[in-house]
Amino acid sequence: MKIIKTVYVLIPLNIFLALKWAPPVRGLGDLSRILFFHVPWAWVSLLAFLIAALYSLIYLFDKKNKFYSLEKKSYNSAFLGIIFTILTIVSGSCWAKLSWGSFWNWDPRETSIVVLLLIYIAYFSLLSSMPDSEKKHKIGAIYLILAIIIAPFFMFVIPRIYPSLHPDPIINSKKEIFLDNKIKITLAISIVSFTFLYFYLLELINKKKN
Amino acid sequence: MPEIIKNLKKDIKIEFRNRSALNLALAFALISTLTISLIIGGVPLEPKKEAIILWLIIFFSAISSLAYTFIREEEKKTILFLRLNFSAESVYFSKLIFNIFFFFIIQIIVAIFYVFFRQLEIQSLNLFILGLLGGGLALASTITILGAMVAKANGQSSLLAVISFPLLLPVLWMAVSSTTKSLTPNPFSSNPVFYNEIYFLLAFSGIMIAGSFIFFKFIWSSQ
Repeated sequence: MKIIKTVYVLIPLNIFLALKWAPPVRGLGDLSRILFFHVPWAWVSLLAFLIAALYSLIYLFDKKNKFYSLEKKSYNSAFLGIIFTILTIVSGSCWAKLSWGSFWNWDPRETSIVVLLLIYIAYFSLLSSMPDSEKKHKIGAIYLILAIIIAPFFMFVIPRIYPSLHPDPIINSKKEIFLDNKIKITLAISIVSFTFLYFYLLELINKKKN
Repeated sequence: MPEIIKNLKKDIKIEFRNRSALNLALAFALISTLTISLIIGGVPLEPKKEAIILWLIIFFSAISSLAYTFIREEEKKTILFLRLNFSAESVYFSKLIFNIFFFFIIQIIVAIFYVFFRQLEIQSLNLFILGLLGGGLALASTITILGAMVAKANGQSSLLAVISFPLLLPVLWMAVSSTTKSLTPNPFSSNPVFYNEIYFLLAFSGIMIAGSFIFFKFIWSSQ
């Protein structure tokens, strides 16, 4: 996958666009530039979780043992996922402190990302309690799949429990994006570059561990 | 079906022969209910706080008692016998049914004691009971499969709390919400929307049981 290597260009470009080219959001000033990192990190933490669960599913139903290394890849994806989740929480908390006055506000998206962090912690705790064996890989895989199966319930419940403070520029009832074009472009490039960075890092870890 | 009944009979017989798990679970549920009630004393709390405390007691009672069915098979080395004589599906369903009934007994006792000592005024008894049953079903169905995983991971009970908490959060939120509603006077109690949390808990249990049914054989066969 040579396209992933464009990450060497995309990440510096993303940093330049985020810090210099994109205008600050009205009312928030330069603080709004956190958006260009916080949103893609949140997306990558979710993507890593989905990919880890997908690898686990293929691993479990692979009767001919063609994809025996997928469980290790799933573990590596979850490992990257937990790092991006922590980055998302830290960047989100900084944003919350500066724009809403406190580091933690029990917003639905803040709560969702903490639940994701808890799932990652539980997954790693489960794996660390067993010696390296087929049993460990299977049980870890099933845990991730169960977590994915009940994810829609979280989507249903969390917004009903916690009122939202988050700005809703991407998905809203009018299905319109209320952002300056430069911000939209930078955000799109940012999401693509961090997605590529995730795949690049995943490939590197997979190669190293093999 | 006959396999499920046979295995269920075996579990009930073992349980009533020494009653260690039931006694321990009931003692834990009782002591935690009494301790919390005594600590709070006669201070009245809002319905939401009462519901949160009640469900925390129920959650930790579930954690301390429900994984035992699988851990016992691992500890007594009877797992190989079960694997040779019963299908994975029948073992799963027999353990699930056992856990559901076992947990309902614990829940009833916790609820009765909590309501009695805290002098709770239940405004909608139907919703209160349905909330307990729905929440209990969701807890039992989730902890049954997670208990099977923990039994394979050398049966550490603290591990069960760590891995079950993230998956059970929506259940606890909805169960607390339904119990809060049942303790609050509400003129719309005859409206079907009033029971939304119960539908949610039943849907969650259904999905969890279906998922567990599909994946249990992988846990069961892993060495």
